Amino acid sequence: MCDQTFLVNVFGSCDKCLKQRALRPVFKKSQQLSYCSICAEIMATDGLHENETLAALKSEAESLKGKLEEERAKLHDVELHQVAERVEALGQFVMKTRRTLKGHGNKVLCMDWCKDKRRMVSSSQDGKVIVWDSFTTNKEHAVTMPCTWVMACAYAPSGCAIACGGLDNKCSVYPLTFDKNENMAAKKKSVAMHTNYLSACSFTNSDMQILTASGDGTCALWDVESGQLLQSFHGHTADVLCLDLAPSETGNTFVSGGCDKKAMVWDMRSGQRVQAFETHESDINSVRYYPSGDAFASGSDDATCRLYDLRADREVAIYSKESILFGASSVDFSLSGRLLFAGYNDYTINVWDVLKGSRVSILFGHENRVSTLRVSPDGTAFCSGSWDHTLRV
Amino acid sequence: MKEGMSNNSTTSISQARKAVEQLKMEACMDRVKVSQAAADLLAYCEAHVREDPLIIPVPVSENPFREKKFFCTIL
Repeated sequence: MCDQTFLVNVFGSCDKCLKQRALRPVFKKSQQLSYCSICAEIMATDGLHENETLAALKSEAESLKGKLEEERAKLHDVELHQVAERVEALGQFVMKTRRTLKGHGNKVLCMDWCKDKRRMVSSSQDGKVIVWDSFTTNKEHAVTMPCTWVMACAYAPSGCAIACGGLDNKCSVYPLTFDKNENMAAKKKSVAMHTNYLSACSFTNSDMQILTASGDGTCALWDVESGQLLQSFHGHTADVLCLDLAPSETGNTFVSGGCDKKAMVWDMRSGQRVQAFETHESDINSVRYYPSGDAFASGSDDATCRLYDLRADREVAIYSKESILFGASSVDFSLSGRLLFAGYNDYTINVWDVLKGSRVSILFGHENRVSTLRVSPDGTAFCSGSWDHTLRV
Repeated sequence: MKEGMSNNSTTSISQARKAVEQLKMEACMDRVKVSQAAADLLAYCEAHVREDPLIIPVPVSENPFREKKFFCTIL
């Protein structure tokens, strides 16, 4: 039997069009009226002008997009590398692997530096999250997560806790303790809950808030202490793969990149999307703000990295070469922003001159895909993690 | 059936409205010329390049990641 029992089969004249039809109760400003099904549908789209149908709205959206492109193109008076011609070229680079951190049993998926410039946390496919001292290569802490594929990990600004998550759809915060008798896993606090895997997480300026990105297409801001959702960010039409917070002087925004090829900039307080960029041809794997906060770089499966300027609201540089066929999995800037380090799926790391758009150096050493790459907080080194189970500094 | 269809159209209409409003907001944004933005990026770079240990290498004695040499003294 049909279970639409809420449909009242009353025949009569509709309050709006006055035709004799089957009527439904409809509430308009807390007054109950009886409309026929046609008028009820019209009422549901109340507030629209008469000619605003779905098709009209879609075409308006298209024309607005076109207008946006025009506005952006008007400001495109010069290319970044042209402006950068007057800058001195960089000398030859010799970068060597100074430390190799072995200990993970499987692919390293993510890593993060501590603000003390020496410790780092890394997570891997086997569910282990390890805190290392990069000077001595000692392992300081190790936790085994109940899930595999721990795709995201982050170090708290105070250095007292780490956050990680992955296929368990949650972000868990572990306080770090040097007491050998304490089991770290016992103190775990589940902070975020998503409906799909956690792809990225980051503490905000304090230990109290965490920003997460998930395969369910949303990003969310959580309070660590209570586990409450403070703000959620909807707008991506596919999995969100990465996020980065703006450097502290420039305020409360963050950028996220996803499988829908779009990079979006959000306001953390209002939850609103501020800007969107769609020039990549494939999933965006990694986004990172330029140190000044006025631009960000993204690395994608289309084998290019691109630099987007936030104030000009457009892409200003592409870092690519015909010989590079594999996607970039992770990008980061050097301290001054002059160099962009990008780890690729062809096991190499390319170093790009951000201003001139040319490649400065290629680094070999990993025996499998480079999955994660971060420059240390003081810029003296950068660490890359790879599917070959090691991290190199 | 008709109700199902009208629900689809109402949700997609409200989605389309949100998209149009979002695009209107973005269209009104104050934009800067690329030449200006590029000049600012350059200026930031030049101001900070001296502090960048990966560009201007620090002397080996100060590099925390240098190879550690242990000196043994003969007693």
